Amino acid sequence: MLNLVTCIKQVPMVSELPWDSKRGTLKREMADGMMNPACKHALEAALLLKNKFSGHITAITMGPPMAEEVLHEAIAMGADRGILLCDPHMAGADTLATSYTLARLIEKECADFDLVLCGCNTTDSETAQVAPQLTEELDVPGVMYVDQFELSDKSLRMQRTVDGFLETLEMELPGLISVSTQQYSPRYASFSGLQEAFNESDIKIYGIKDIGVDPELTGKKGSPTKILDVYSPMANKDNIVLSGSPRNVVEELFKKFDDKIGSAIGKDLKEYE
Amino acid sequence: MDFNPCMKHKIVRKTVREFAEAELGPIAYEIDKDARFPWEVVEKMRPLNFFGLQIPQKYGGAGMDSISYAIVIEEISRVCAAVGLCVTVHNSVGAYPILFFGTEAQKKRYLPPLACGERIGAFCLTESNAGSDAGGVETNAVREGDNYIINGTKIFVTNGGICGTALIFANVETEGIRPDTRVFIIEKDTPGFLVGEIEDLCGMRANPVSSLFLEDCVVPAENILGNSISGLKIGFTALDAGRLGIAAQALGIAQGAFDAAVKYSKERQQFKKPLSSFQTIQNYLADMATEIDAGRLLLYRACSLKDENKPFSAEAAMAKLYCSRVATTVTNQAVQIHGGYGYSKEYDVERFFRDAKVTEIYEGTSEVQRMVISRSILTKLT
Repeated sequence: MLNLVTCIKQVPMVSELPWDSKRGTLKREMADGMMNPACKHALEAALLLKNKFSGHITAITMGPPMAEEVLHEAIAMGADRGILLCDPHMAGADTLATSYTLARLIEKECADFDLVLCGCNTTDSETAQVAPQLTEELDVPGVMYVDQFELSDKSLRMQRTVDGFLETLEMELPGLISVSTQQYSPRYASFSGLQEAFNESDIKIYGIKDIGVDPELTGKKGSPTKILDVYSPMANKDNIVLSGSPRNVVEELFKKFDDKIGSAIGKDLKEYE
Repeated sequence: MDFNPCMKHKIVRKTVREFAEAELGPIAYEIDKDARFPWEVVEKMRPLNFFGLQIPQKYGGAGMDSISYAIVIEEISRVCAAVGLCVTVHNSVGAYPILFFGTEAQKKRYLPPLACGERIGAFCLTESNAGSDAGGVETNAVREGDNYIINGTKIFVTNGGICGTALIFANVETEGIRPDTRVFIIEKDTPGFLVGEIEDLCGMRANPVSSLFLEDCVVPAENILGNSISGLKIGFTALDAGRLGIAAQALGIAQGAFDAAVKYSKERQQFKKPLSSFQTIQNYLADMATEIDAGRLLLYRACSLKDENKPFSAEAAMAKLYCSRVATTVTNQAVQIHGGYGYSKEYDVERFFRDAKVTEIYEGTSEVQRMVISRSILTKLT
């Protein structure tokens, strides 16, 4: 039976949040939270592994009390248990302090894990650093931005796209991967799953004492990163005029931009050709 | 008294919103235009328990509370009211009476296929001379041995064209005794059970509303719901629950139209300023938001009374009366904010405007709701 761990993060449900210059953080309380999309893909990948090989999934998250929500959601989707790391000492953690804390929890609660699955990035801060740092902290091999993988006899064969090239890699387990949003479209939680996730779910809430982390290395104290500013990615605008008959213009538009249009609406337009 | 949604209700809302926006959003316009019922979406809804929301898990449902149920209907209807209608009618007046009044054998036989959505439920009370007057049913059932022979016509049956299990109100004639209404559970493959043409309606066009004909339809006596419980009692109890669903649906339509109006008012420029910068539009939006919120509080109160097993008939009628009025006024206002575009099918508010009206009519008209409410006021002991 596979012992799987998925790290999931609750992120704000809006595309942009105002910056609190006094606290040096995003004003997260201004929006409802949701499970980070890439984390959801990682959870789906874990669920498929569980269905195929039988396994046990521990979903872990670190955040304020309201982050418990994403653990219920993960259990409703099919995870077996959830752990929330929630402690005032953990607040304000940068990616280094976060991966240090997550690693100590995994070592304590899931020491004999086969695979840790993370989302490749988060929609709120976009650093994509926690997964690779967690690999170092756990001292296991890791591959980031995995599009899809196959597992056979403790060996993971993975594909990822890097700089326009398709890479195929192999890794022995135990290991860690971060999953991209290219494949593994997440399932919807069923209502009976949701009902069970609230009636009899196995969710534990731990603070720093429960997992024995050094308070100097977690939270704001353990965070060497100083954030000076947060801004949305700049969009490059180009004016392109297409001419000809409406039919030709539309065909031209889709020929040139089908990838971009497809990713904007979340569909592969090639299916419709 | 806690007015904050609990974590479970927040996740239910998020889950259904995500589903409705992804699966129904892209087709809502087309299925309305073509009056097409989207079986392909139903296929995806089945394993998620959309058709067994409050049916207990032992009969294959999700066993959810009434506020969760209301949230589900609200969120589907916020995107596509016609599918919201199918789900609410199926769950409330289609399945709930079997759960509430059925014998154990009836529950075991009929609830699992309803809970998994293999069979869609329908509730057939309205006839050419019955509807608001629930006692005016003319469909009759005559006993012959272990069976009843049923004849009659039911009209305006929601889910009529797609139903697999229908609850039919009919007068049972027994010699020497005054006829009494009973509810028969009839499956669509029963000989003599015929589906009429699909109605060409103003709104809710993706729901196949039709007449149902019963022509010498032979039904075993064991199919009488709850053995010998009065049909009117079943009808009134079912409609109390059904009203929560229609109130939720009306609220969802209003919310959908409101969200569209807010978005449009920020985008549309007139006099070189967005519409939302004009005080008149701001007043419209403020009134719409207040009305929706008031309706939601009425609805959730009625739902929580039901879950506490307390009487909720008058409260459900108030919620239904109020939310359906909110739906018609808010959708009207949303069209107004959209101006000429709101009158075009290109924008969702035109569909919301047409869908809203019937919430003041079915599951008891607004006038019937007032009857229910005033009766509860006037019969209260002082």
